[in-house]
Amino acid sequence: MLQCIFLLSDSGEVMLEKQLTGHRVDRSICAWFWDQSLSQGDSFKSLPVIASPTHYLFQIVRDGITFLACSQVEMPPLMAIEFLCRVADVLSDYLGGVNEDLIKDNFIIVYELLDEMIDNGFPLTTEPSILREMIAPPNLVSKMLSVVTGNASNVSDTLPSGAGSCVPWRPTDPKYSSNEVYVDLVEEMDAIVNRDGELVKCEIYGEVQMNSQLTGFPDLTLSFANPSILEDMRFHPCVRFRPWESHQVLSFVPPDGEFKLMSYRVKKLKNTPVYVKPQITSDLGTCRVSVLVGIRSDPGKAIESITLSFQLPHCVSSADLSSNHGTVTILSNKTCTWTIGRIPKDKTPCLSGTLALETGLERLHVFPTFKLGFKIMGIALSGLRIEKLDLQTLPPRLYKGFRAQTRAGEFDVRL
Amino acid sequence: MAPPAASQRYPSPSQPSGKSEVSDLKTQLRQLAGSRAPGVDDSKRDLYKKVISYMTIGIDVSSVFGEMVMCSATSDIVLKKMCYLYVGNYAKGNPDLSLLTINFLQRDCKDEDPMIRGLALRSLCSLRVPNLVEYLVGPLGSGLKDNNSYVRTIAVTGVLKLYHISPSTCIDADFPPTLKSLMLHDSDAQVVANCLSALQEIWSLEASHSEEACREKESLLSKPVIYYFLNRIKDFNEWAQCLILELAVKYVPSDSNDIFDIMNLLEDRLQHANGAVVLATVKVFLQLTLSMTDVHQQVYERIKSPLLTLVSSGSPEQSYAILSHLHLLVVRAPFIFAADYKHFYCQYNEPSYVKKLKLEMLTAVANESNTYEIVTELCEYAANVDIAIARESIRAVGKIALQQYDVNAIVDRLLQFLEMEKDYVTAETLVLVKDLLRKYPQWSHDCISVVGSISSKNIQEPKGKAALIWMLGEYAQDMSDAPYILENLIENWEEEHSAEVRLHLLTAAMKCFFKRAPETQKALGIALAAGVADFHQDVHDRALFYYRVLQYDVHVAERVVSPPKQAVSVFADTQSSEIKDRIFDEFNSLSVIYQKPSYMFTDKEHRGPFEFSDELGNISITPEASSDIVPAQQYEANDKDLLLGIDEKDDNKGLSSNNGSAYSAPSLENSSNITSQMQELAISGPATSATTPQSSFGFDDLLGLGLSTAPAPTPTPPLLKLNPRAALDPGAFQQKWRQLPLSLTQECSVNPQGIAALTVPQSLIRHMQSHSIHCIASGGQSPNFKFFFFAQKESEPSNYLAECIINTSSAKAQIKVKADEQSTSQAFTTVFETALSKFGMP
Repeated sequence: MLQCIFLLSDSGEVMLEKQLTGHRVDRSICAWFWDQSLSQGDSFKSLPVIASPTHYLFQIVRDGITFLACSQVEMPPLMAIEFLCRVADVLSDYLGGVNEDLIKDNFIIVYELLDEMIDNGFPLTTEPSILREMIAPPNLVSKMLSVVTGNASNVSDTLPSGAGSCVPWRPTDPKYSSNEVYVDLVEEMDAIVNRDGELVKCEIYGEVQMNSQLTGFPDLTLSFANPSILEDMRFHPCVRFRPWESHQVLSFVPPDGEFKLMSYRVKKLKNTPVYVKPQITSDLGTCRVSVLVGIRSDPGKAIESITLSFQLPHCVSSADLSSNHGTVTILSNKTCTWTIGRIPKDKTPCLSGTLALETGLERLHVFPTFKLGFKIMGIALSGLRIEKLDLQTLPPRLYKGFRAQTRAGEFDVRL
Repeated sequence: MAPPAASQRYPSPSQPSGKSEVSDLKTQLRQLAGSRAPGVDDSKRDLYKKVISYMTIGIDVSSVFGEMVMCSATSDIVLKKMCYLYVGNYAKGNPDLSLLTINFLQRDCKDEDPMIRGLALRSLCSLRVPNLVEYLVGPLGSGLKDNNSYVRTIAVTGVLKLYHISPSTCIDADFPPTLKSLMLHDSDAQVVANCLSALQEIWSLEASHSEEACREKESLLSKPVIYYFLNRIKDFNEWAQCLILELAVKYVPSDSNDIFDIMNLLEDRLQHANGAVVLATVKVFLQLTLSMTDVHQQVYERIKSPLLTLVSSGSPEQSYAILSHLHLLVVRAPFIFAADYKHFYCQYNEPSYVKKLKLEMLTAVANESNTYEIVTELCEYAANVDIAIARESIRAVGKIALQQYDVNAIVDRLLQFLEMEKDYVTAETLVLVKDLLRKYPQWSHDCISVVGSISSKNIQEPKGKAALIWMLGEYAQDMSDAPYILENLIENWEEEHSAEVRLHLLTAAMKCFFKRAPETQKALGIALAAGVADFHQDVHDRALFYYRVLQYDVHVAERVVSPPKQAVSVFADTQSSEIKDRIFDEFNSLSVIYQKPSYMFTDKEHRGPFEFSDELGNISITPEASSDIVPAQQYEANDKDLLLGIDEKDDNKGLSSNNGSAYSAPSLENSSNITSQMQELAISGPATSATTPQSSFGFDDLLGLGLSTAPAPTPTPPLLKLNPRAALDPGAFQQKWRQLPLSLTQECSVNPQGIAALTVPQSLIRHMQSHSIHCIASGGQSPNFKFFFFAQKESEPSNYLAECIINTSSAKAQIKVKADEQSTSQAFTTVFETALSKFGMP
């Protein structure tokens, strides 16, 4: 049971305080917390669950904003962390991001949201589509909504019907003049290439994201052509478990608007679309660097926004790096980013140059890890294909759309 | 990031700027109060927003309370919400003014818009002013009967809030039975869930003094109720599902069919998108099958993939919580994750707290089949930019080496680290090589040749240096220039800042001397002279001791300082299996995150799930308060010294075996015993406070002073004053319990009231604590309870330890007492018995 939630800015200022139970938590706990995280150095490194002299503190950090929850009693820690994550998600959904200004400008909305999300320290509803019915999103978002839905008032005065409906994620009876449903496969490739150039780990983490604007109470069935490749599935609460167990078919009544239908993982992939071949040789206080990036297996669609970034080791005093394609930037914190974009047909992009080591060092002993970024539109690299999307009762003027994209997730190339 | 300005962090109500603006607001609000002009709501909104933004920054705006209430007559819902927020925040401090708000809140509770009805009811219950409770009962009653589920949901929580303000009002209004019938019959899942959470809380708090509540609490765990919830668990939202799953954990199934039914009902919960639901389900599965070994193993297989999914798909904070739990599981069943080790490979961008846990996981899952891959991966981290992680991964390699049979390849890897010539890598590696040698002496030749080539000048870290020196001393016969390296180090005695290194230098010089006397004699002389002159007490004492032992007999000295060593087969585990089991029982709680059972960190008091301490919550924390957590860190630091500690014990053993027979002259015996006492003192540095009284007592005894320090047994035992804030960490307790002799065993009877109150161990623990006797561990079930207590003398750090076994059916208690000061143990036993006899008395 949470007793209090604080929102702290990136300078440790308390932006918002929401007491949840009769046992008030003094604000001074935030000062204690902030001293603590300053003494830890980087606040990103401090533990998500810590014990203060008076309370247990749960914290998550999103875009510099710290969401801090206090409790004096035993509770499942993951529940607190999950809830804070949901709060952060809902806020960024409502405000179009979270940062100090947005929260300060919209603190009334934040209070209203927290009021509906948690009562007496126990989470109530965190489903965005239901919250949106109770509390109208502010500013631009609500303006857009009012244009889209034709509802002029930005103060919602209807009661959350979903709170009382037997399908807790769906409002009882939404009406649309045109019925649309979009399915997006969004995949991320996580890979580790070790020092010997071997692919140690290569996995796809994928999400099926949907945007459904359907009238009434639609019952959908989504099936894949090759569901057997999927592992570690997690489903939105709306997905019925039995049909999936027996025929690998997703049968569900969708929430209204955007939501994540399922997430999955495809493991043991054998190939990456892009290769990175780094080489560093060091001698007499200077290192020669050369990095080649090229296409290993053509996915059939253009590979875009290729970037390669790495942290120069602390012992490097200066760096002189250039490339035959794209741009190289080195920030003051020794982060080097090479923006390649698309790979040209006629040459292989190459980054080369020298690093000067601090005086007294002959050779480099700390090696950087290269992080690769890329994006491929129109293809799911896992090979997952959607077979069909059926509606039990067809509404008039139905439009179905499918898209796919893959981008690099945690793609580490070690040296 | 810059530290925040003081004014932001410690906003004071008397800020001059705030004050004038607040009075401005006051006048403006007053003007608007009675106005019915069009557009007045908009200007009110602006003003309200200002007031609340001041409140948010921390400026005290309670002075406009009256005006805010006057302006609250409005139909605008956003205005209403702001007003409710304000009132909820300040009502507790202004009980008189709060009466003003009752009127409009009560009116809103009858509004035709259910949303306003609900919000008003919520605010009304959140006022938390004790003298206004009479106004709550009516609206709550009608709220529970409201035809809109939103209002009912809020009313149910309201009942719980009312209970916390005034339990008697809540019980007298007969709310709990109403909630019970709502829970079993309401059509709305959220209402049902809130009823469950409210009833659980009310009945567990009532249970201590009402038998009926106790029965009702039990009835929540009856088969029909549990199945009522589990059958419709899908109708509830994710948080309510967690609540139900927590309830299901406490359910005791009647037979194995029952267990399988529940698992079938819950199986799909493992696939839920919310990690909290998954983890709560995992706990149900694990607890249900504890008694069925083979099914329990299958459960591990079943829960594996959902948990691994959670690790890699959530935010780092979520991964952290899950990984902590996985670590607990993997220690119990290492084989289950053996094939999935790649899940625990660290990605570059992960925060270091996640990486650290992943390294621990990799260490734990390593077995014959995957060691090669894991060690290869770990070696890559050793060259990582993040130095803390590089260190951890070297340590992980070492841990794997210590738990494996085939260490051949790993030793090679470790030796390769030494060639990296990074200061911290070398230091960490040396410590590991030292530990490896103690376990696998057969590797000494390979290691020594590499270690011998390391220049001691390159090692700055005390730990690494101490390890190197230890090896130089231990393997002096194999390293040709060991005496000369030691000599070099000893010549720079003055520049050596770490006492630990100087202690090791002394011992190493001694060991080297026994093996290669001619080459070392000079260096040893310098070392002993420098040691005796050292300002550090431990170093001084050890040097003096060595000097005297050498003077007495070189062969005796050799047996004392450098006895033949036996290979260490298993290094002491820092956590006993009992503690691990306790943590496992507390799966899905903070215990797992802290890797300690709850009794070790819940502030000496075993808190139930619903008890708060108000004093604690309200005091403000000053930076000094953070010193409270220091002991825990010290404890950990001591653990890290464990390996060295064992090393010292070897020395010690040799010493004590010599004590009895070898000496004859009484004067000498005395002095050697004295030095041995001193030696003991020096060695047990961290636990000095604990051993001081005991050894000084022995010291005096030997000098023939008899009972001089121990006060004669006091005729009036209750004079023994105990320290109400005594502290002793469990590790020290265990150590003492083993070391100290049993001073008293007593049996006494417990009065019937006490037996009646002892339904759970916690009740006795709290009672004893009020008599300054603290519990360190407890367990058992009716009729047998077992407790370990400790207490400390008020004025000096003298400890009393007690084991107390209570059998409730025979109403007998058996007490075993051990004490630092034997002479006062009778007094303590009397205090203990008196305290026990008062247990259960009003």
